[in-house]
Amino acid sequence: MSVQSSKRNSGQPVLPGEPLGVIEEFVPDAGTYVKDGVIHSKIVGRSLLDLLNKRVSVFPLVHGARVPKVGSIVIGQVSNVQTQIATVRIFKIGKKLLSGFFTGLLHVSDVHLRFVESMFDICKPGDIIRAKVISEKNRAYHLTTKDKSLGVVYAFCSQCGEVLELKGRGLRCPRCGKIEKRKTAIDYGIGII
Amino acid sequence: MSQKTEKLIDKKGLRLDGRKPDELRPIKIEVGVLSNADGSAYIEQGKNKILAAVYGPKELHPKHMALPDRMVLRCRYHMAPFSVQERKSPAPSRREIELSKVIREAIEPAIFVEYYPRTAIDVFVEVLQADGSTRCTSITAASLALADAGVPMRDLVVACSAGKVEDTIVLDLMDAEDKVGSADVPVAYMPNLGVITLLQMDGILTPEEFEKAVNLAIEGCKKIYALQKEALKAKYVSVKEVEE
Ligand SMILES: [Zn+2]
Repeated sequence: MSVQSSKRNSGQPVLPGEPLGVIEEFVPDAGTYVKDGVIHSKIVGRSLLDLLNKRVSVFPLVHGARVPKVGSIVIGQVSNVQTQIATVRIFKIGKKLLSGFFTGLLHVSDVHLRFVESMFDICKPGDIIRAKVISEKNRAYHLTTKDKSLGVVYAFCSQCGEVLELKGRGLRCPRCGKIEKRKTAIDYGIGII
Repeated sequence: MSQKTEKLIDKKGLRLDGRKPDELRPIKIEVGVLSNADGSAYIEQGKNKILAAVYGPKELHPKHMALPDRMVLRCRYHMAPFSVQERKSPAPSRREIELSKVIREAIEPAIFVEYYPRTAIDVFVEVLQADGSTRCTSITAASLALADAGVPMRDLVVACSAGKVEDTIVLDLMDAEDKVGSADVPVAYMPNLGVITLLQMDGILTPEEFEKAVNLAIEGCKKIYALQKEALKAKYVSVKEVEE
C-alpha cells in the first residue's frame, strides 16, 4: 500500500486506519498501530511527525473510551460499606463522565496514613467520594484516599438524608443536627463533581 | 408499495429511481448527533434513515459474562414500528436478532477489543425508516459511532450491497429491487486494509456474476468511505479550529 506524499506534514487530520508511513522510516508511537509494515492511525486525531527522532504519533481529537487505570482520579458513589471495605460505583474518570460505571474497592488500610479502625467512620452508602486507583489486581479497581484532595466530597445525613455541612473537624446535619464522621476531601461541600 | 413492479430497469438502462446500475443512492451522514451517547452517527441513504449509538466501554453485568482478555461487543439492531409500511412489532424478530449478530461480526474485526479486558461496549442501531440494504447502512453508521466514541479501531468499516436485477448487476439495492431482484450481495469492507469483514449472498448468481457483484460493492464501499471521512472530519476538524 502506498502512502501519498500529501499526508507527509504534521497536523493533518487522520482517521482510524489511515496510513501514516512505513516502519522503515518511522518508529510508531501513541495512537498508531502497525500492520504488514505500514503504520496506521487507530483514532481520530492529528498526525504528528517528529522528523528529528523519526517518530510518528497521532494526537487524539476524540476523548473517549476511558477505563480506570492505575493513577486515575475517579469520582463515585459509595454503594456498600463494611468494617474493612467500602464499594464505590465509579461514574467519572478524570474529567469524563461515564455512560456506564465501574466498581472500585476502598480498603480501611488505604484510607488514611494513620490507622483507621472502622470503615463506618470514613464513608456511608450514598456519599460521593473522590479517590485514586492504586491497583487493578484480582479483577477489581483498588482505590485510595491517602491525600487531602481525596475523600468524601458530598455526604448525606444517615438519619434524614440532608447534605451534611462541615462543622469543626466533623460534619453536621443542618436539618436534624446529627453529628457524623467522614474522611473528607479538602474541598468538601464546594467541589464540583 | 405504490410502485408497480412492471420493469425495474427501463429501456435507457435506468432504475426505478433514475439511477444508473452502478450508482449509489444519495447519502447524508452526520456524526455526534446524540449528546447522551459516548458516540453516535445518523445516516440517510436514499430512503433509509438509521441512527447508531455507542455506549461504553463499561463494566459488564452480570460479571461472569465478562471476558478476562478482551472487551465484549454487544450489538442491537432494531427497526422502529413506523420504519416500514406495515406496522412492525417492536419486539425483536428473528431477522433482527440475526442482523444484530451480522453487524456485530462485521465491525468487531476493526476494534482493538484486547485493549479493554473485562468490559463491554454497546452498539445500538435504530432503523427509523427502512428501504432495503439496511444491514449495510447500519454497519456504515455503527463504525462511525464507534470512531466518534473514541474507541481505537484498525479502520472504519463501510458496507454496501450489490445485486442482480433483470440480468443486470446493480449497486446499492433499494427495497423494491431487493424484493423482486434475483440476488443480493452485501459486503462490508475495511478500505485502508483492503479486508472484507462481511460477505453474504442471497439468491442465485453465476461465479462470474458473483465476482462482478463483489467488485461493484467494493467500489461502492470506497465511495461511501469518502463520505464517512468527510462526516468525521466535519465534526472534529472544523469544530476544533473554531475553538482555537
Ligand atoms: Zn439529618
